[in-house]
Amino acid sequence: MNYFAGIDIGSTAIKAAVVDEDGRLIGTRIAPTGSSFHKNAMETFETLLTQHGIARDAVKFITATGYGRKLFKEADDSISEITANAIGACEAGKAFGGVRTIINIGGQDSKAIQIDVNGNVSNFAMNDKCAAGTGRFLDVAARNLEIDLEELGDYHFGGSGAPLTINSTCAVFAESEIIGLLAKGHGKEEIVAGIHYSIARRTVRLAKRVGIEDRVYFDGGPALNKGLVAAIQDELGRELVIPEQPQTTTAFGAAILARSQYLAE
Amino acid sequence: MNTNPNEATAPAYNRSRQAREAETLLDRIQDDFPDNPEAMRYFYDLFRRVYCQGEPVKHEGTLVGTTCIHAPEELIYAFGATPVRLCNGSYHYDQIGADFMPAKSCPLVKATLGSLHAKAAVPNTQALELIVNPTTCDQKTKASAMIGAMGYQVHDLELPPAKESEEARLYWQRSVRRLALRLRELTGRKLTRKNLQQAMARTARAQTAFRTLHQLRKNAPALFLGKDAFLVTNAYFFDDLDRWTAAVEQLNAELQLRQMEGFQAAQKRAPRILFTGSPPIFPNLKLPLLIEEAGGVVVADETCSANRMLYDMTAVDEWLLNDMVDGLADRYLKPCTCPIFTRNDDRQRRLLQLAADFNVDGVVYQAFAGCQVYEMEYRSIADVLAAQGIPMLYVETDYSPDDMGQLSTRIEAFLESIKTRKRNAR
Repeated sequence: MNYFAGIDIGSTAIKAAVVDEDGRLIGTRIAPTGSSFHKNAMETFETLLTQHGIARDAVKFITATGYGRKLFKEADDSISEITANAIGACEAGKAFGGVRTIINIGGQDSKAIQIDVNGNVSNFAMNDKCAAGTGRFLDVAARNLEIDLEELGDYHFGGSGAPLTINSTCAVFAESEIIGLLAKGHGKEEIVAGIHYSIARRTVRLAKRVGIEDRVYFDGGPALNKGLVAAIQDELGRELVIPEQPQTTTAFGAAILARSQYLAE
Repeated sequence: MNTNPNEATAPAYNRSRQAREAETLLDRIQDDFPDNPEAMRYFYDLFRRVYCQGEPVKHEGTLVGTTCIHAPEELIYAFGATPVRLCNGSYHYDQIGADFMPAKSCPLVKATLGSLHAKAAVPNTQALELIVNPTTCDQKTKASAMIGAMGYQVHDLELPPAKESEEARLYWQRSVRRLALRLRELTGRKLTRKNLQQAMARTARAQTAFRTLHQLRKNAPALFLGKDAFLVTNAYFFDDLDRWTAAVEQLNAELQLRQMEGFQAAQKRAPRILFTGSPPIFPNLKLPLLIEEAGGVVVADETCSANRMLYDMTAVDEWLLNDMVDGLADRYLKPCTCPIFTRNDDRQRRLLQLAADFNVDGVVYQAFAGCQVYEMEYRSIADVLAAQGIPMLYVETDYSPDDMGQLSTRIEAFLESIKTRKRNAR
């Protein structure tokens, strides 16, 4: 049996995915990027293979994506994470009846992608220079509030009052805003909800720039945060499609591409 | 005569920081691409000599700085003076210029101010006897007084905000006549039909060479890369006119030879890109370089540092000198596709024409953060191109290298989507 792999080396996490000859997803693995990302990427990939009892030489083609794609020399080819995300979401979205718009929030960027019926990118937008309104922003906020990142979702629904307004999506400015709100005696719940709405507004603006069509697929680590999902749905005025493993869609897309590149050759 | 009261020479550190910026870029342009045309060596060496080693710009007679393509250079040449375009592309000077303008204003204007303030060696600001500043966008208009306060002589070349009406035309013709009077005062020379004709013949030869190069870029697969094309047109800013023309003619001859040999400067299926918007100015060739490093090829452009500056020719011959000056003025107003004009349908038409003529697969639109007119024309251009099924990538950026990682991802994704589109169309 031949296998094909996609490795997504992001700013925060490394994601690996393996598909078989029929393009079925065999498994995925996620690990922090760390400072020696090349070593970590190799380890993540090899552990994934061991987990599923796949020999290294059974993997016929590797496609790398994400910020570290160019530096991962073991890969046979590389592709931008926007294209990989589109391919992965199109495939994963079939279970939901097909998707045409993708919202991705990563560790340090956020994207909105519009795809056509064949899964080809027709338009996309990406945040510019800074990490405003991305996963890193949630990180900073959770640290200020002294709660775990995973708990943010629960806090979102725990408040009694209306969500507070956090005006800034800049991680640095928001930090002082959050500290100010805490000092005024506001509850963590209202602050968390406020943070989610602040990211949601920014994300929806980005999505509107590319145009929202049909079902909207939301992926990336922050898609695990139920509070953020609720806030985006609220701002967007429609339901989001959330895959089972929102972090690995892009790696999955790269693996699918690896398979079709191998078959085409 | 040096009208600059501050005689101090440029501090060495300014020169070396700009030199490093220039050197890094030239290394990328030269070393990262195989098979650069032999004739490009002239331009690589020119930029190294001028930007890295601080060689003074060659000029005859009075050196007159210009801050925009609206300054009629034939008029300056006709007075025996030499124009040098001061628009600056250096991040280093952009940071210095931030002392004069709000941080969010256009990096091009800030960098120009910065280089003038720092008495930059490039292009020998020490020798500038006059700076002709066309009052185009708000930022260039307000820069006038600031440049004046630095001790330079500035002439505000007043430009009307529209170009279609007869009122605008007359207003502009009077502005250009007033510039002629100022130049006569400055140089002590007289303007005649003959010296204006001679000046026009010189620029016409340069423009003919440019047009030949422009036509050669229609070739598919591409013969010549955009990163080199921008370097060639950027050299026009400061290089000796006739020497530049000869170098471009030589380049054309080499490219024609390569054309016959079936040479390819890029892959056969490399997406063909039309570049528009804020001008790439050396050493800020960030975006065209990223496009070509990612496997695309810039085949044509609609910017004031290349095509818009050189394409439209001046061929005016009238019985009276005044009529000739008016005719020259028309050339600098009517065909211009700068977004500062109230109505600018010409830009849309030109983009569509270029897209068709050069078999373009996609358009990359650069808008400098703070260059409001380009930011504002984004939507209308996007709509016009979308109606023709031409994909466009809009990039808001500036001179800082911070966004290189983000930009390369966006550009790659754009090129990938063009490739998929082409594959599906086959």
